[in-house]
Amino acid sequence: MRWKKTELADMQMGSFFLLAILAFGLVLNVSANTEVEVLYAWKANLIDPNNVLQSWDATLANPCTWLHVTCNGDNNLVRIDLGKANLSGPLIPQLGQLSNLMYLELYDNNISGAIPIELGNLIKLVSLDLFSNRLSGHIPDSLGNLQRLRFLRLNNNSLSGSIPRSLTTIATLQVLDLSSNHLTGDIPINGSFAFFTPMSFRNNPGLKPQKFPPPPPMFQIAPTPSAKGPSSS
Amino acid sequence: MCLIRACSQEYISRFSLVGSWLKMVLMSGRTFCAHVIINFLLLLSCNIIYGTETDIFCLKSIKDSLEDPYGYLKSSWDFNNITQGSICRFTGVECWHPDENRVLNLNLSNVGLKGQFPRAIQNCTSLTGLDFSINKLSGKIPADIDVLLPFVVTLDLSYNMFSGEIPKSIANCSYLNSLKLDRNALSGRIPGELSFLTRLRTFTVTNNLLRGPVPNLPQVPAESYANNSDLCGGPLPPCS
Repeated sequence: MRWKKTELADMQMGSFFLLAILAFGLVLNVSANTEVEVLYAWKANLIDPNNVLQSWDATLANPCTWLHVTCNGDNNLVRIDLGKANLSGPLIPQLGQLSNLMYLELYDNNISGAIPIELGNLIKLVSLDLFSNRLSGHIPDSLGNLQRLRFLRLNNNSLSGSIPRSLTTIATLQVLDLSSNHLTGDIPINGSFAFFTPMSFRNNPGLKPQKFPPPPPMFQIAPTPSAKGPSSS
Repeated sequence: MCLIRACSQEYISRFSLVGSWLKMVLMSGRTFCAHVIINFLLLLSCNIIYGTETDIFCLKSIKDSLEDPYGYLKSSWDFNNITQGSICRFTGVECWHPDENRVLNLNLSNVGLKGQFPRAIQNCTSLTGLDFSINKLSGKIPADIDVLLPFVVTLDLSYNMFSGEIPKSIANCSYLNSLKLDRNALSGRIPGELSFLTRLRTFTVTNNLLRGPVPNLPQVPAESYANNSDLCGGPLPPCS
């Protein structure tokens, strides 16, 4: 079948626009929904000199056969293991759409930019390891929504601002490491933070040392007997 | 502060190193600057690298100083061919980070250990949790326990054979949330200074030989003091 010149030109224009939209979508990912789409969009933003993301194939229905990710029995993504992978680039907001994620292990890379507030949507997260990267900006308040979090290690980055009070509401928190950053302000001591010592906060020159409330009297003072009747104990 | 005390041990050993360096250096003046820089960096490292080789030394010394009749430590704690994060895979050891030899918690509950409280634990400088419960440890709880465990948050020495008094210095372990000393042979008074531990939520001393007034700890119920020689005050009947 022979196309007319005008039809060809239209088709060319159309396909050009389609390609442009697709490329735009891949990079900015206006509405990434599936786990494959989210991860592939993130891959597009990363510099991967060791080619650790080689197996990340966008044509598959789910990422469960990819390397460095793990799924559960329902083929939902539960782990990302990319520690020490020589990766550079940012974290993208869409990572907050991986709603079944339990372990986000991205430590010891060159990841830069801010921690997206959308990571606070990962309510099943048990471990958030972003330590030893080049992250900057504030620790988002929204991380206080991660009510199942056990490990929060953000040490050795360039994070600034104050420690969000919302983190003290995470009762499951076992290991906290915010050391070696540029954090400022007070160190909370209430809620789950009663378990944490200066080791969790050291090497943040702008952080004020934890204050201890004044001690109560060493022994309870016995009530003095009343003159009128027998004293009660 | 406990932090300074813990670090001072490092400084003392470093200073004796510096002393011997200086002797060498006086003989070869050319290398003086290099040595000064190296030693300055060594001193700095006490602040930056808080324990990795020291943690390996800590666990090795604990293993060497305790009797291990069931071979629990012998099988799992293998010190040949240590790499980054090796000790993190020893049974009972929980690390701060998976690939760094820095001990966060040590849980050696119910493994049949015998011997005295291992002072070498001082070298686990990042330790926050220690569980020695249900063993056959004996002797006194060290009088300078605050120097050995400056950052301890949970300490469980229950179900052992510790004797003597509860050391006063434990009141300097300001980060203590939980202190369990049940089922030992501890005697004398409970130090009143324990009321200084503002984070203390759990404190139990049942089944010991303690006497005298209990410290002012409103959060601690009467049951936590049960089965002792003659404790009084607080939630218990008043002292005569």
